Amino acid sequence: MTPPLSRRAVLKGLGVTVALPWLDAMMPAGRALAAAVPRQKLRLVCVEMVHGAAGSSSIGIRKHLWAPADTGCDYDLGPTSLKSLEPFRDHLTIVSNTDVDPAEPFTASEIGGDHWRSSAVFLTQAHPKQTQAGDVEAGISLDQLYAQRFGRDTPIPSMQLCIENVDQAGGCGYGYSCVYTDSISWASPTRPLPMIRNPRVVFDELFGVFGTGASPAERRERREEDRSILDRLRESVSRLQKTLGAADRARLGDYLDNVREIERRIQIVEAFNLGGEQRELPDAPAGVPDSFSAHVRLMFDLQVLAFASDITRVFALKLGRDNSNRTYPESGFGGGFHNASHHGGQEDRIADFATINTYHVAMLPYFLEKLRQIPDGDGTLLDHTVVLYGSPMGDSNLHNHKRVPFFIAGRAGGRLGGGQHLKAPNGTPLANVMLSVLHALGLEDLERFGDSTAPFNL
Amino acid sequence: MTKTIASFIAVLALAAGLSAQHQKDAAPNLTGTWNMGLQGQHVIPVALTLDQKGRKVTGVILMPTQRAGETKDVTLTGELVDAALTLSGTVEGAAEPTTIEITGTLNDDGSMEGRLKGPHGEVPWTAERLKERKK
Repeated sequence: MTPPLSRRAVLKGLGVTVALPWLDAMMPAGRALAAAVPRQKLRLVCVEMVHGAAGSSSIGIRKHLWAPADTGCDYDLGPTSLKSLEPFRDHLTIVSNTDVDPAEPFTASEIGGDHWRSSAVFLTQAHPKQTQAGDVEAGISLDQLYAQRFGRDTPIPSMQLCIENVDQAGGCGYGYSCVYTDSISWASPTRPLPMIRNPRVVFDELFGVFGTGASPAERRERREEDRSILDRLRESVSRLQKTLGAADRARLGDYLDNVREIERRIQIVEAFNLGGEQRELPDAPAGVPDSFSAHVRLMFDLQVLAFASDITRVFALKLGRDNSNRTYPESGFGGGFHNASHHGGQEDRIADFATINTYHVAMLPYFLEKLRQIPDGDGTLLDHTVVLYGSPMGDSNLHNHKRVPFFIAGRAGGRLGGGQHLKAPNGTPLANVMLSVLHALGLEDLERFGDSTAPFNL
Repeated sequence: MTKTIASFIAVLALAAGLSAQHQKDAAPNLTGTWNMGLQGQHVIPVALTLDQKGRKVTGVILMPTQRAGETKDVTLTGELVDAALTLSGTVEGAAEPTTIEITGTLNDDGSMEGRLKGPHGEVPWTAERLKERKK
């Protein structure tokens, strides 16, 4: 009898290593799927939408621009910025009316420093130390708590991605180091993790392209020799395919097509950006598309591939910077983000900001649908993924951290109910919700997280 | 026994009432750190630290500069008379002589509101005491 294919089997070529998707050949022969598949390890994606939401303002709350009017299961997403998530309603848990108190100022010198402090709080729910030196301090972030517990049996424990520039050095404002605005992932209270903006770098890291020792110049040179990393895998793919059944061959083919497709899109972006055309983002690396949606989709596609091949199970994604005045013409509103966020409490300007919020949330269905299409053990990737989406800021016009926007997509392998809107009692820390998410992810022994006071019933 | 408990509750209620009356009658003291919101095109959070001795009030306001993320300390002096606050100060090192003038009132709920006149015009403001939190 042929032994099952290892979940850790890889395709190898010169300077390239590509992990495999889940295949039937990985199941021991003669065993039922449910019995053969070990309980799937959950995937975690944490997405920070910076600088609050229109729905956290007084008018926005009244008009239900973020949280629906009704709680429970029978809510209407129509007026909200979450309306694009309607097809994933069963996987959606909206938690409204929570606060992020650690992002508030604790001392006089911290008043006004919200933009430079907030992002560090999102996943740590800890109050950052006000410093511009190397002695930065916040807390361990939620994604890292999960990665440190469950990420050790994947080649890469976790990855941190971002859409806007994060390469600012030194102090950013109000006595805060730039690392507080640059990163949302903290491996320890004193170790923020760098975030990757360039999809090319993510791709190369996921697929071990050219090995870790190669310099950027060497990578570029070798890249130019080939049309695709798959060119280096032909023999390895051919050998494996001979051992697979028809369904697995098709699955492997689809997976490699996806790898190639993403690689091709990155190559197109690089060719355009290096072709001398005027760029909207002249300072961005060549692999970064000028289009926000193209960039976000590439990052999501890379996450899907990583999950499908079990290279990593944890991603953090930072969608922007508080102070960015980037425009999103595709949203239907042409004004800058930061100006829109400071809407002055005016109803028409709040509506403009809601348009941007809606556009940002509308990036998610693309990702969720991809996850839903990929088999994973006894279900799909979506069944075994938890996506946290939210902001540490509430009403961006007031720079407060109350009634922050937040939702969860995914049911954590059945541990989260989904399909509901839960309104927390006034003054509930968002950390309570995050504590319960960590419990659902398997860290049941965790008693506290950030400023949590009790688990929140999800 | 019931009578004793009732008397005890009555004494407690009287004490609580007297305490509340005392607080109402006591002269307000603004000493402390205030989280002030300047209501411009959006609300700009500004730190206002005050020290009150009798009617005299001194303090420092951390005014935002034109450069994002930077503030400048401006020392203030003034007074509080019948819940009406007046403060003024000069911005040191400014290219031209620049003063900050603040007027405001103390509200029944302990918050303050008023107007601030500075080099770029006059804006309304509100302020609440900075909540004490454990680090």
